[in-house]
Amino acid sequence: MKKVLVVDDSLSLGRQLSQIITSSGEFEVIGQAKNGAEAIQMYQTARPDIVCMDINMPVMDGMTALRTIVALDKNAKIVMITSLGGVGEKFTEVLKLGAKNVISKPFQPDNVLNILRGL
Amino acid sequence: MAIKFFGQFLLEKGVISREALLKATALQETTNLKFGEMARSLGLISEADIERVHEAQRKEDLQFGDMGVKLGIITPAQLTEVLAKQKSGHLYIGEALIKVGAVTSQDLPKYLDEFKADQAPYVVNKVAIPAGVPDSALWEMAADLTYKMLSRVANLTFRLGQCALVQRLDANDTVVAMRMSGSVTALYVLSVSTDVRKSIAKAILKADDVSQESEDMLNDAVMELVNIVCGNIAAKAAQMGKTLEIAPPRVLEAKTGVPVPAGGMGLLIPVHVADGRIEVGIFLDKA
Repeated sequence: MKKVLVVDDSLSLGRQLSQIITSSGEFEVIGQAKNGAEAIQMYQTARPDIVCMDINMPVMDGMTALRTIVALDKNAKIVMITSLGGVGEKFTEVLKLGAKNVISKPFQPDNVLNILRGL
Repeated sequence: MAIKFFGQFLLEKGVISREALLKATALQETTNLKFGEMARSLGLISEADIERVHEAQRKEDLQFGDMGVKLGIITPAQLTEVLAKQKSGHLYIGEALIKVGAVTSQDLPKYLDEFKADQAPYVVNKVAIPAGVPDSALWEMAADLTYKMLSRVANLTFRLGQCALVQRLDANDTVVAMRMSGSVTALYVLSVSTDVRKSIAKAILKADDVSQESEDMLNDAVMELVNIVCGNIAAKAAQMGKTLEIAPPRVLEAKTGVPVPAGGMGLLIPVHVADGRIEVGIFLDKA
């Protein structure tokens, strides 16, 4: 079962996303970080197979954490979660930084799982 | 379910790869010249002129071409000429994907139709914005998208009212605000009563009962809704050629209501629900 780290400062979104991810039986959520700094720390200790990370977070945003994790591990499988996914420039900027895909909010469970399966 | 751009839609469907999308957008970047670059390629302005315009834009929010005219660097006729040249030579993402071999010209119309159908729920409907509100097309879209998201994401049933200018939003149980900046600066404010907050939390958490949830979780659900609404407003704004950045949402202390900042303009987007109370305001900063 693939290990997933969820990174989101939102309690409600983090819970909803974790429920979707675990519901398939294909993925296990190993923890939820509340900002980019926590995500970097948890990535190094827990070594998840996949990271699902929000962009807009306090303390350290998702873009900064994305850059850092990709610098640490160029094979990191990171999917960014954002309500700004429909902004084309933002979307391609995230891919250029090394994210494998982007999940736009509001999301549908099938869409989330298909994206994770495709990694 | 969210507002998307065409490349994202194709990537999600598995029609194209991430690498193909990046290749196509890179091709767009080299083909679609910005106004200053296009004007320079036509021999209308120099590199020093571009710097002058950029410097002036740091002090005044004007598009490159308009600023160029204001500074006397180009004429209005040259402005029109550059815009026409940009438009005629613009490489759209679909064409770029054909050029990099990611989709065929035969398949493109079919994918465009599918994309149009996917995004049809987000075609902007008419909402009357009071006279005198700057960037009224943008706020009309924001008001309409607010209604759509309150209905589809928060599952709220409501009746619309007439948008109006106000000096403040009345006190309410929970008030969440999100700052938007870029082409315009404004504060998006959603104020809800306890009943409405509960309904929003049920929808966001996909739960039938939220009576055991903490205050933090219930407020967080309202913040998440604001985040989703404003993020999608930014996405739709990008389609209109406007740039909007959003800051993280926050809960405001608003026991006596939320006043519009001095010199600003408060646009009320009325939402009437059967149980409880909800108000949406967009506070435009002083121009």
